Amino acid sequence: MKELLDIRDLDGPGIGALRRLILTLADSKRIMGIRYSDWLLGAPSIEAGIAISSMAQDEWGHARLLYAMLKDLDLEPLTIEHERPAEEYTSVGALDSAFEHWAGIVAAMTVVDEAISVALLGFSRGRYEAARTRVPKMLAEEEFHASLAKAWYRRIAGSSSKARSLLRDSTKELLPPVLAWLGADDAAAKAMVTEGVTESSQSMTEVYRARLRDLTALVEVNIDQAQPCGGWDEDRARGPGCPDEDAIERARGDRNRALLVE
Amino acid sequence: MIERVYDVFARKHRGDQLSHIGYVDALDDEMARVYAWKTYDEENWFEMCVIRRSNIIPVNRQGSPFSGSKGESG
Repeated sequence: MKELLDIRDLDGPGIGALRRLILTLADSKRIMGIRYSDWLLGAPSIEAGIAISSMAQDEWGHARLLYAMLKDLDLEPLTIEHERPAEEYTSVGALDSAFEHWAGIVAAMTVVDEAISVALLGFSRGRYEAARTRVPKMLAEEEFHASLAKAWYRRIAGSSSKARSLLRDSTKELLPPVLAWLGADDAAAKAMVTEGVTESSQSMTEVYRARLRDLTALVEVNIDQAQPCGGWDEDRARGPGCPDEDAIERARGDRNRALLVE
Repeated sequence: MIERVYDVFARKHRGDQLSHIGYVDALDDEMARVYAWKTYDEENWFEMCVIRRSNIIPVNRQGSPFSGSKGESG
């Protein structure tokens, strides 16, 4: 068992790197939840709608727990959750826009949610105590997300050529921003590996590719040939762009601001 | 795509008897697992399992809700 991290031992850049890591995980979870919530009533069956509704709530619960960790680093979670503009969100770029069809959300469930889980797994194995204690339960809940994702991915891959084509296109579109996010190897990412807070981007990317290799092959996508997108933004730990304004208004809870209860 | 009926059984505590708590329609076993867990999540279940309704063998009543293909759409 690795010795626990004492945050007081981190220097300024180290604190910044840990804040960035937590924030990008939390923001990605929150926007993943928004994308799931788009399908509460449009899923192919009542059961699928109930499942994705529950998964949206899981993501928001996980996001809330991750945002709360920022208190350890002298950041106020309430401000972070409810007051930032879209341009300050650090969520993985693959979630910037809503998914227009069921194949798209299944691809996101598979390609994006799995990447977030792999990043969380690395975080849970590190020296930061809050991650060690809180993340394993998230990962246990995520096992059901992964099961549903794989079942639907296989189902669509084995159905009509049109459906398979939609799944293939969505997979190809989502992989580059996801690989850039998971494979980040800049100074802040390296600092977190050096401090033992998380695992290397290379090892996490290998785990990720191994988990999805057989699945994406079903739609003729070779995950080993997929490449990360460019335009990495070190401050936001993501590629270019930002989530659409509608998603951010919902994420911030703008409509219910007057009723905010904490 | 054809859905099947899966019956859901669960127990709250290790020593409890497994009870029938409902059913879900699903395309395959894996989806049935997730749908059951996510649909019947009002309790902190110790154990939950699903079984295809078509695999249930009636003992004394033919044509009852649990008798094999009854209620199956595939």
